[in-house]
Amino acid sequence: MTPQSFKKTGLALLVLTALALPLILRSPTYLHILIMLYLYAYMTTTWNLVGGFAGVLPLGHSVFVGIGAYTSTVLWLQWGISPWIGMLVGGCLAGFVGYLIGKPTLKMRGAYFALATMAFVEGVRVIVENVDKLGPFKLNGPRGLNIPPLPAGESSFLAFQFSTKEPYYYIILFMLMGVAYLTWRLSRSKLGYSLSAGGEEPEAAEALGVNVAKCKVTAMVLSAFLTALAGTFLAQMTLFIYPKSVLTLDLSFELAFIALIGGRGSLAGPIIGALMLRPVTEFSRIYLSATLPGMHLILLGVILIVVMLYQPRGLSEPLTRLMSRLQDRICSTKTGGAQ
Amino acid sequence: MDLIFLLQDVINGILMGSIYGLVALGLTLVFGVLKVINFAHGSFLMVGMYVAYWVVAFTGLHPYLALVLVTPIMYIFGYLMQQWLIRPIFVAERDVREPITVIIVTTGVWYVLDNLALLLFGPDYRALSPNPLKGEMIELGEILISTPKLFGFTITVLTAAGLYWFLLKTRMGRAIRATSLDRDAASLMGISQWKVFNVAFGIGTAIAGIAAVVLVPVYNVYPTVGVPFDVKSFVIVVLGGLGSIPGALLGGVIIGLIESIGPNFMTSTWTEAIVYGLFLLVLFFKPSGLFGQKYDW
Repeated sequence: MTPQSFKKTGLALLVLTALALPLILRSPTYLHILIMLYLYAYMTTTWNLVGGFAGVLPLGHSVFVGIGAYTSTVLWLQWGISPWIGMLVGGCLAGFVGYLIGKPTLKMRGAYFALATMAFVEGVRVIVENVDKLGPFKLNGPRGLNIPPLPAGESSFLAFQFSTKEPYYYIILFMLMGVAYLTWRLSRSKLGYSLSAGGEEPEAAEALGVNVAKCKVTAMVLSAFLTALAGTFLAQMTLFIYPKSVLTLDLSFELAFIALIGGRGSLAGPIIGALMLRPVTEFSRIYLSATLPGMHLILLGVILIVVMLYQPRGLSEPLTRLMSRLQDRICSTKTGGAQ
Repeated sequence: MDLIFLLQDVINGILMGSIYGLVALGLTLVFGVLKVINFAHGSFLMVGMYVAYWVVAFTGLHPYLALVLVTPIMYIFGYLMQQWLIRPIFVAERDVREPITVIIVTTGVWYVLDNLALLLFGPDYRALSPNPLKGEMIELGEILISTPKLFGFTITVLTAAGLYWFLLKTRMGRAIRATSLDRDAASLMGISQWKVFNVAFGIGTAIAGIAAVVLVPVYNVYPTVGVPFDVKSFVIVVLGGLGSIPGALLGGVIIGLIESIGPNFMTSTWTEAIVYGLFLLVLFFKPSGLFGQKYDW
């Protein structure tokens, strides 16, 4: 078995397992947990396009989630435009906002960028909480927006509402696979190389003719667009959005934490991070929040600090090393057998 | 009559703004020396406020006498924080010009401290119950000035003056200034960079402690009390110029004025949006702020 085919087999097994899971796991509760897990894996992967590859620290990605969620919901509620179209509109709007934030700040040092993205979320949240109508758009202030559910048992693809969890599961799974593939392609493209060069050694990269700032802005726009798609998905999953649910610093920080603990700048890092941390936060929220409030955030913070101190490239690095050792062993025994 | 109200708001804004400036002062000092933003600064303020609150509640001291205990406790807290948490990252990322990891770790510290406070003290809002300063006012003609805020203003001025004296006149202060200008050259002159970092971080945290003592008589203590001050301090230091001491004080006063005068013209929550808008404008058009140095650090 060659290393190449080892990787391919592993990946195929992983995808097949993910595809087959709903056939085995019939409980809606577990499916819901899995859906949220994939959603977080998706959002951290899109976060990683800027936070990982471009080497800066965005702390305001919830603003894009919020833009995606609000755009599609407003379009659906007021004009009956399918959330699928709203998803794309929201994505484009988020991309534009990403350009507006990124263009002036990505030229500056990372601290400024981190602060600007944070202030942007807070500013947008304050505005959304204080207006009932923004021009012709009804935002309903702090009360948020309710999407009226379809009559029980009915599903409609155009309305992006389904009576069972399975369709949501497959939609977010395909979104996650799509964005993972995109990240993989990006990491091997000219843009990907320019980004990692610009992130590590901006002067050297500029000397070689890479327009570092422009590459970073491109990554930011792409990341904003893709993150907003998750916002629409979240809105359709929960059918209720309000400023404190989609436009908070907590969500922004959680995305950053998961990606950083998993490993920024790698393809597997954010997904591994979400796989490991979502269950921790989910279960400690369920079982500990009554007796020990805030315990899951303490855990997340402690894990983050420990990982940053001892494994600054994230948990995916030792895991990848383990995988490649396993790969070496399997591949070498196989060829040894053939001799 | 209207003018009197406006004057009252202006005075109130300056007094409250100076307290914001005091919080930001610690942040800007740490930034000036270490070139990193301590995202947990608001949480340090929160820790200081709980310490001050418990000191006063247990000993029954006058709220301002708590300074004697809170300031050294916070200094040691900051010193050890830098020694145990930030320093290892600096050592590991010696070659990286801008250790983003520090931002991440301090954000982690923020989350741990805030939620630890929630775990230990619960979500209750606490106010000093025998509060000798509560509602105390000085009357100047038709203008009412809140006494605790006036004390806060005075303490801010004294702290800033003390900090200036320390930085200009003492040996350690000179070492701190040298390190903030060029840490390699300072090291070559025999200054221990790590010691300077520890002391600067300790002083920055102690200033947060002083601000905490000032705030306890006029503000409730609760686990996330640091967050609004944290975000406000970021706005203030960028507005005034990262690393600049007069910038932090002036930036604080500007924010205080916006918050106190703004509600005359709009709903008070909108002033918050104006503060963030101003922050973004400064970031976009003059990132070095009012007093910041332009050169690349």
